[in-house]
Amino acid sequence: MFSTSSQRKYWTFSDENELARHREKHNLDFISKHGHHIDEYQRYNFFLSPEEERLLLKQYELHLKEFCKRFAPPMPKGVVGTAFHYFKRFYLFNSSMDYHPKEILATCVYLACKVEEFNVSIGQFVANIKGDREKASDIILNNELLLMQQLNYHLTIHNPFRPVEGFLIDIKTRCTLANPERLRSGIDEFLEKVFLTDACLLYAPSQIALAAVLHAASKEQENLDSYVTDMLFRDAGQDKLAILIEAVRKIRSMVKMVESPARERVRVIEKKLDRCRNQENNPDSEIYKRRMREALDEDDMPHSATGSSRMSLDTSGISQVLSPSAS
Amino acid sequence: MNSEVTNYSVIGRIGEGAHGLVFKARHLPTGRVVALKKILIKNLEDGIPVNVFREIKALQLLRCKYIIKMFDMFPRGMSLVLVLEYMCYGLWEMLHHNQAELTLPRVKTYAQMLLKGTRYMHAHYVMHRDLKPANLLINHDGILKIADLGLARLYWPDGGRPYSHQVATRWYRAPELLYGARYYTEKVDLWSVGCIIAEMITKQPLFAGESDIEQLAIVLQRLGTPTEETWPRHSELPDYHKITFPESLPMSWTELLPGVDSDAIHFIKSFILYDAQKRISAKEALRHPWFQNRPLPASLDDMLKPSVIKTK
Repeated sequence: MFSTSSQRKYWTFSDENELARHREKHNLDFISKHGHHIDEYQRYNFFLSPEEERLLLKQYELHLKEFCKRFAPPMPKGVVGTAFHYFKRFYLFNSSMDYHPKEILATCVYLACKVEEFNVSIGQFVANIKGDREKASDIILNNELLLMQQLNYHLTIHNPFRPVEGFLIDIKTRCTLANPERLRSGIDEFLEKVFLTDACLLYAPSQIALAAVLHAASKEQENLDSYVTDMLFRDAGQDKLAILIEAVRKIRSMVKMVESPARERVRVIEKKLDRCRNQENNPDSEIYKRRMREALDEDDMPHSATGSSRMSLDTSGISQVLSPSAS
Repeated sequence: MNSEVTNYSVIGRIGEGAHGLVFKARHLPTGRVVALKKILIKNLEDGIPVNVFREIKALQLLRCKYIIKMFDMFPRGMSLVLVLEYMCYGLWEMLHHNQAELTLPRVKTYAQMLLKGTRYMHAHYVMHRDLKPANLLINHDGILKIADLGLARLYWPDGGRPYSHQVATRWYRAPELLYGARYYTEKVDLWSVGCIIAEMITKQPLFAGESDIEQLAIVLQRLGTPTEETWPRHSELPDYHKITFPESLPMSWTELLPGVDSDAIHFIKSFILYDAQKRISAKEALRHPWFQNRPLPASLDDMLKPSVIKTK
């Protein structure tokens, strides 16, 4: 249930300002960590600004949408929705300069496939990626755990697709609207766009679903206002109705404002990112390769000095005899 | 990134699962004893196994006294560690090493606990798909909890999606799964529950096949060759035509469960039905007279309290 979900508790934010604050914070954190050698006034000549990060991520959300659309075998809508949620959540608390969006994008989709029980092997998955597939699969598998961790292991996503079905059934049974199925294309089109906005970080899936239904109805020159006021919210009270109306209005206006970022700007940002990204997380960098080797070695290490193998957390011996008083 | 592990002091190894090891450990800040299930991801071709996601999703969703709790999880090198409620004992151990303690009043209480956990899972549209004594753990208060949700998955009540039939440990596997059904329901769990309750009463597995084919042969021989009436549309199951068994008539339940009173037989019979639709639900089962008749289910005070000191 959404009302008791981690999505509602931890990942539904109060307004766009809150989202902007989180995004600004990780941008500043990244720059203060990596930019001490650069003069304060020059920093944004080298690093991405919060606004540039937004534009870049918007571009990658378009890539995400296209990637899923072209994916073979055809991908259920729920997987796409979940991947979008993961991508947005990840970059709410991480900078695109730390983790390149193209890598996180693929990992989000791969994780969403598993969580939504759309079972494809890594081989099948990377067959959808252009370029070096072996490298792609390494990157995805290396990032899987990182992504899960950054999502705080909150993997279950409530998408608007099921509430849409619920509304359609309800409209068919309780409304006089002729042939409600004709709303579908309008709904699908709306939901496709809604994932290019921040709506899913601000509103409940059922609110997004209702906005989609109402939008589709108005496109068909129909009006479902009385369905909302006299049926859905008949007993809910004026204040609740007012909140819903405002939410629907806001979601519809967010969708209306969706536009693709200018190509030229994105190209400049990408160039800038190549220089300012955290090389430790760049799979092509020497430092990354060295770190991966170390991680492997660390896990293979036979034993630490402290204790018997029985006491260790695994066969590789990360024994935890901790407090000094224990000795 | 791996600082969380320093919060735990490992006390010992509990067991080995399909994807890694399980340790007993103390959470130092709280002093709580927990089980750490370490899932090794390195060398796994497709990364983190789908089963792990199923288990995490199910454990995050389900909060029930009769289902094991997950407190936390953290990455450790190339592994993922799940922090689970520590359970010192299990129904399997009890059936194999401590049968005398498994009195009928206690069996009834364990059956209630198992059914309450199952009722809760099914109310949340999760089917476990691998209920068996080894997955039913008992804590030091004597409470039985359902564990190992690695095969648990959400199901859709309309039944529109196919699922794998390679689930459930053989002895407890419902006949539709033995015939390779891809469309099945949460009622597969209730077949398992019936087998487990019968085994607790008689201390013998109800259907103990050595192979999948023998398993089916035993079920058919005991319950009789299915008919269109006892099992509608069974001949449409994927593997039905791959193998034929000699025609047999159903054995009587007093023969199947010798020495078991009629009340209990009536109860078990309501689970062990070919027709999954007719199989009793967990909710209905909890209202069965077997629980109201003497001997009554044991109170928690009278349940076995497995010793906490017992560690490897």
